[in-house]
Amino acid sequence: MDALSAALRIAGSGLEAQSARLRVVSENIANAQSTGKAAGSDPYQRKTISFGNELERTSGVRVVKVSSIGVDATPFNIERDPGNPAADANGDVKLPNVNLLVELADMREANRAYEADLQVMKQSRDLMNMTIDLLKGTS
Amino acid sequence: MEPVYLFGLINQQRSWLSTRQEVIARNVANANTPGFKTLDLKPFVSAPESGELGMVATGALHLSSATEGELSVNQMSGEAWETTQSGNSVSLESEMIKAGDVRTAYSLNASIMKAFHGMWISSLKG
Repeated sequence: MDALSAALRIAGSGLEAQSARLRVVSENIANAQSTGKAAGSDPYQRKTISFGNELERTSGVRVVKVSSIGVDATPFNIERDPGNPAADANGDVKLPNVNLLVELADMREANRAYEADLQVMKQSRDLMNMTIDLLKGTS
Repeated sequence: MEPVYLFGLINQQRSWLSTRQEVIARNVANANTPGFKTLDLKPFVSAPESGELGMVATGALHLSSATEGELSVNQMSGEAWETTQSGNSVSLESEMIKAGDVRTAYSLNASIMKAFHGMWISSLKG
């Protein structure tokens, strides 16, 4: 595989990884208030994502892959709300350990990385076009 | 003889630039991979000048030269911009600067190629 096509492939894998990260962020934000179903049960647990490197055998290029989607083990937020169906015997409700500020910061960062990947992709195409343009006008 | 050599040199630089673009793509794509060290190519010098000896791959199981010319930034002192807690040393800003350099050099390279090709053609046409 020639270097510029490999660059496109790698940048593409970066886009894929960052969009998976955005998906996790949106899951976390959407479930920021999801309590458990039964009384006293655990609510939604915040998800985390990690990236890794992997050799793609078909093209021989080292691409970025989502290496693991895990859960955040920090303790749940506990709020007193006896009327809630998920409240335990003491009237405490466990709320998800999602911090909206952290999620938003993560989203911004994913956005930045996505933009940078797109920029690299654009530029690689430009370089290819520069080479192709050599053929133009020299008939 | 000389025009051929010139084209060869231009071609070498072009492939060096494409590989550098690939390395930049890899750095940017891995901007959030834990433990990833920024990679860069050795500066371009034409083959006769460098005089450096590399290892020869003699078996099918030897790794190809895809990563041979690369060294991670922190091997060169003071080059790394910032290393995050996860051990990742990619800085998107510095990668964009590098990408700009590649673009300028590539466009110069293409123009030179075009100019010499034009000369070649005009000498053929008379």
